[in-house]
Amino acid sequence: HCGSPGELPWLGSCAAQLVSSLTHLLSRFSPSRLTGKEALTQFPSLGAPGGSGPGQGHVKQCELLQLSRKQRRLCRREPGLAETLRDAIRLGVLECQFQFRSERWNCSLEGRPSLLKRGFKETAFLYAVSSAALTHSLARACSAGRMERCTCDDSPGLENRKAWQWGVCGDNLKYSTKFLKKFLGQKRIGKDLRAKVDIHNTNVGIKAVKNGLKTTCKCHGVSGSCAVRTCWKQLSPFHEIGRLLKLRYDDAVKVFSTTNDAVGHSELAGPHRHGHSGKQPALPRPTDLVYVEDSPSFCRPSKYSLGTAGRTCSREGNCDSMCCGRGYNTQSRLVTFSCHCQVQWCCYVECQQCMQEEVVYSCKQ
Amino acid sequence: MAGAIIENMSTRKLCIVGGILLVLQVIAFLVGGLIAPSPTTAVPYMSVKCIDVRKNHHKAKWLMPWGPNHCKKLKDFDEAVSRQIEANDIVFAVHIPLPSKEMSPWFQFMLFIMQLDIAFKMDNDLKENAEITLDVSLAYRDDMFDDWEEIAHAIEIRKLKCTFGSPKTVESEGRHYDCDFLPFMEIGSVAHKYYLINIRLPVNDRKGINVGIGEIKDIRLVGIHQNGGFTKVWFAMKTFLTPSILIIMVWYWRRITLMTRAPVLLEKVIFALGISMTFINIPVEWFSIGFDWTWMLLFGDIRQGIFYAMLLSFWIIFCGEHMMDQNERNRLSGYWKQVGPIAVGSFCLFIFDMCERGVQLKNPFYSIWTTEVGTELAMAFIIVAGICLCLYFLFLCFMVFQVFRNISGKQSSLPAMSKARRLHYEGLIFRFKFMMLITLACAAMTVIFFIVSQVTEGHWKWGDITIQVNSAFFTGIYGMWNLYVFALMFLYAPSHKNYGEDQSNGDLGVNSGEELQLTTTITHVDGPTEVYKLARKEAQE
Repeated sequence: HCGSPGELPWLGSCAAQLVSSLTHLLSRFSPSRLTGKEALTQFPSLGAPGGSGPGQGHVKQCELLQLSRKQRRLCRREPGLAETLRDAIRLGVLECQFQFRSERWNCSLEGRPSLLKRGFKETAFLYAVSSAALTHSLARACSAGRMERCTCDDSPGLENRKAWQWGVCGDNLKYSTKFLKKFLGQKRIGKDLRAKVDIHNTNVGIKAVKNGLKTTCKCHGVSGSCAVRTCWKQLSPFHEIGRLLKLRYDDAVKVFSTTNDAVGHSELAGPHRHGHSGKQPALPRPTDLVYVEDSPSFCRPSKYSLGTAGRTCSREGNCDSMCCGRGYNTQSRLVTFSCHCQVQWCCYVECQQCMQEEVVYSCKQ
Repeated sequence: MAGAIIENMSTRKLCIVGGILLVLQVIAFLVGGLIAPSPTTAVPYMSVKCIDVRKNHHKAKWLMPWGPNHCKKLKDFDEAVSRQIEANDIVFAVHIPLPSKEMSPWFQFMLFIMQLDIAFKMDNDLKENAEITLDVSLAYRDDMFDDWEEIAHAIEIRKLKCTFGSPKTVESEGRHYDCDFLPFMEIGSVAHKYYLINIRLPVNDRKGINVGIGEIKDIRLVGIHQNGGFTKVWFAMKTFLTPSILIIMVWYWRRITLMTRAPVLLEKVIFALGISMTFINIPVEWFSIGFDWTWMLLFGDIRQGIFYAMLLSFWIIFCGEHMMDQNERNRLSGYWKQVGPIAVGSFCLFIFDMCERGVQLKNPFYSIWTTEVGTELAMAFIIVAGICLCLYFLFLCFMVFQVFRNISGKQSSLPAMSKARRLHYEGLIFRFKFMMLITLACAAMTVIFFIVSQVTEGHWKWGDITIQVNSAFFTGIYGMWNLYVFALMFLYAPSHKNYGEDQSNGDLGVNSGEELQLTTTITHVDGPTEVYKLARKEAQE
């Protein structure tokens, strides 16, 4: 598996493999007609989380995921990891589809494996969103008590319990990024350009989660004064991170490989920036998504996507661009939908059925 | 018998004492900065949505979020809709602490705040001034296989204060509201190993309970406790400081009783300051390790309050007694204008604290801020206390200003005075200025460190060494005020030396009668006639 380039020649390291396996995984279980949300229900034994006890259940789940030997070992050792990985996949896919719902490429599961083998902007986004989802899910799983070895693991020189009682355990996010880096085996930096690009984009995803942290404080001194104050960091909703990554996708930087004579190994290099003097090409910033190939148009069915034929679009908005100039069909139809809903927390919805004539625009063949 | 030790001490000795105190001060900072971890830890907990499968809700049953007997879980509420699970059957469960950890009495206290993740939905919008009703219960156990024992159960109402950053359109469905965190629970002792919180959000359409609270996605708690390491360092410090202050106090009082005259007000106040410092210092917290004393938090507040009130009173009286004017003081009642606000202010804060932490002894979920009336009441107490504090500082500043004005007046006439009188006033001025200097230095240090600890990250790194700024702040400032009280009692204790002892006879002999009067001016025991005499003499000079 991981580390044997014969099998997956385009991967330089394991880092990319996990992220891609996360994304591959979905594509394996998705019949072509399904949308992302439905695809999720196709997972084996996904339905009842926690239904499988702490015993052998998670081991089986670890087998189902495409993992390297080392990753599988970690997965077996940590009972909650398999479930967290699945959460991460789900979170990443849903967010990707939400962010790209009105683009030519709609983050569909079809064509994803081929897409991941290239170095498009879309590939960059996929890597970033997957790793961000993984970081986010790990941190969440830690605070839900789903993982056993969270924060106190990385305190040096002290036994786990002692570290907790003394009070030197780190926070969940620090742990989860550290764990993630170990899990992805990022220490070995791949030699080829695309592997480096993938690692870079994976790190962009992790950073996006880190930058999205909000610090909140609580005062609890004498009579509630701020003489004693405790602060903690709080994950922002994953939607925010998805939005941020989408913006990064829009401003993604095309890179090529240069050999830095001083250091002796090659590194990523972006285009010359304005105002950047000297002949040395600018390094991409750690927050930039990078890509190496120009994207296909995604207009026609290809191995990367199904094309935009038949996709619905909004006439004022994106029909021209989505339909690639082929024009669109206008169809008027009567739709029934739920209306005047009485919704309550939780789990109580009472709606009336309303009928409305709706004009649907869809791209021509 | 005249003057305090500080006046009669040589500069060299004074420097030595100052140096020793400075070294101790640095040690106090370093103990917190290098040995102790950060003072508190915040642990985020994500509640697990459990399904209560029992039909009747009467019998208390505890639902565990994880572990061997964990509950049936819900992934999200879409699932609940499709499975037709009612709101009343959903329990948000949080186990404290997280897996493979244990709570410990060294954590001293636990307080929890609650954060709600509420998603925006067009047809289930959050109402203005929505209130959420929580049915909360707390249980403990000391062994993984014991049954849960209930500690408290309450139905609490909390106000939701949420804002939504985006326009409320279909496009932004699913985005979260930005909600203020809610106070959830406060416990003054951590006597058990495991705690379990079960939260229900009962829905009652007719009574309008939990209607219009939006689409709640998750309930998160953040648990804050004191770090065991910090507690240990803190206890060690207290245990060390108690005897030191106690010894100097005994020494100080012995010196006073050795004198022929009765102790004056200033001396009594300094002694009282020593007592209140000792009261804070006495490490009764050691008992919290063995006993489940939830009132420890409240007790700590009271002790601190007494010390602050004492310190503020001391400053006022110190200024007053060094006024060098012809008013008779030496009685506490002479300071009612200045001490009054302190008393009123501390009393207000005491009542407020009793309303908050006092009630929490009975119901840990209680918070005075959750109800309209409570908030207004609390604000009223705090505002009155604030006004009193401002009033106090105005008085204090005015008094300091007066003292300085008198000092400058005296200084201009110093050369013309007789030696004994000059020495007396010089002593007074020096004592006052010295006191002013160290008080200002201590206050400035407190303020600076407070600001630094508020704005910085919590720890600084220099290479391998990590300095916990917040812990250093606590131990350093605590040590500093202890040293302050210590120095005060040492330096302002009455001196055995006479003015004349280290002087050649000079013209003192002539003025022996005058000297007697002078000492009485410091102590003000002899009533206005002496003062009047002195004033007349001064006028003659």
